[in-house]
Amino acid sequence: MNDDTLTLYYYNDGLTNAERQEVANALAIDPALADLYQSLCRELEQVADPEMPAPPSDMVQRWHDSLDRAIGLETRPKPEPAVHSWSFLLGAAVTAALAIGVGIGMFLADEEPATPMIEELTADNPISEHPGSSAFIRGLQVHLRESEQGLTSLDTGVDSDRSLLIMNIIEQNRLFERVAEQNDSENLARVLRAFQLVLMQLAAEDISDEDAEALRAKLLFELNVMLTKLANNPSDEPTTI
Amino acid sequence: MQYRKTILLSVALLLGGVAFGQDEASDVSEVDDVEELKIVAIEALISAPPERALPAITRVLQGNNSDDVKESALFILSQIETPEAQALLLDTARQSDGELQEEAIQMIGIGGDPQALAGLRNIYASGDSDVRESVLEAYLIADDSKSIYELAISADNEEDLENAVEMLGAMGAIDDLRDLLDQIGPSEGLIEAYAIAGDVESLRTIAADSSNPETQAEAIEALGIVGDTQADQVLVQIYKDSPSEDVREAALEGMLISGNDEAVLQLYRDSTSNAEKRELLELLSIMGSEEVWDLIDEALENRR
Repeated sequence: MNDDTLTLYYYNDGLTNAERQEVANALAIDPALADLYQSLCRELEQVADPEMPAPPSDMVQRWHDSLDRAIGLETRPKPEPAVHSWSFLLGAAVTAALAIGVGIGMFLADEEPATPMIEELTADNPISEHPGSSAFIRGLQVHLRESEQGLTSLDTGVDSDRSLLIMNIIEQNRLFERVAEQNDSENLARVLRAFQLVLMQLAAEDISDEDAEALRAKLLFELNVMLTKLANNPSDEPTTI
Repeated sequence: MQYRKTILLSVALLLGGVAFGQDEASDVSEVDDVEELKIVAIEALISAPPERALPAITRVLQGNNSDDVKESALFILSQIETPEAQALLLDTARQSDGELQEEAIQMIGIGGDPQALAGLRNIYASGDSDVRESVLEAYLIADDSKSIYELAISADNEEDLENAVEMLGAMGAIDDLRDLLDQIGPSEGLIEAYAIAGDVESLRTIAADSSNPETQAEAIEALGIVGDTQADQVLVQIYKDSPSEDVREAALEGMLISGNDEAVLQLYRDSTSNAEKRELLELLSIMGSEEVWDLIDEALENRR
């Protein structure tokens, strides 16, 4: 059971009754998991407020679109599932849910400008000092990992899967870029904007196989670098990049 | 401290990598393996302190390495927030050519250093169209619309101007686009940029100016590209208020583009002119409106 499932459980969304029951049972018998869930709840509560303004409808719509597509893929008969689209899209939907959570927090943060939710990922500003920052970083890490997995599966995918995967990555990426931008995390926003450009090129229908492979390799490298950078704990190693 | 070992290994590989890479390898796959190993080593440098990573990356960039390896190093360089790293990026952008130069330019955008970004102006001025496009993309990545605005203002040819304006539209840089309207006047590219940026007010202003009917029609149709509630309302108002057939035609085109069949339906119901009703019914049919079949029945039965 992973963070994504627990997040969906927390938001009471995206899980069937049976799946929710399974999570509840697991929480009841596994103290470590229960601790993890409590910790997750505390973080999510920081970005969730009963009086929060509703997220913009387009954001919610994208989230539901992602879920709809995921459900559509699940029910649509597929002759040969060469690409792990379902798992990627479900992951994308979960990532979108995380991003929405972060986005909601972002609106709250707008009301309290003196307490930014996230800071630049520099050694001088350890992210763990700021409430909500770990939720954003974890969401971003999920997004980058899902993007990485999606891009890795592209070489075995059919065209329709390819377009769907890339468009999903672009949607998620745009969401995180916007959150980063509006929280003055310009470093991350710039990197995500650069990803966006490469993804748009990759999504072009007239791209040659050779060019697509080169772009994919470049993007995978950069995603890996950013995942490593995000995984580094600045407070443990104040002199890393 | 597992990653310290990885970093040390990376640095060792990179420092020795030049000679390693220069080997006359007869086996292509062996060369690929060496290349892959170098890229993995470069990737690990993201965990290194800048004072350790920078010399290694400098050697990679100055050595006899492939563009792929150097481009990987450039991305790491973009993540090092020191003046030396940003200066090295700018040097690479100035001194290299082709894809490596374009990559270095984009990495300056990712780095976001104001001095390095300012240095792109000269590279833009002396570069070919690919280089100029990369500079615009770097400014987009850095969210530096002011620099793009300046490039647009100083453009000495139509293509450069249009490219800069298009980029401002993609960035949603409404203020800069409005300033441009004062400087250069309305153009097709500027109208498209307003549409992409969702600037209904500017489009409404141009749409109200009948001094150039062609531009006026373009602005009206562009409101349809914006397609939000405000733009839809403006289109309906233009259609209702304008005495000009061409303007009304453009407003209908705008409604077609935005897919606002509800407004067209309402106009149909409000109309007392058979000629107008015919035109609106045709438009609804083109738009694939669900209501069109009821209207056809009504028309056939002379109910309205």
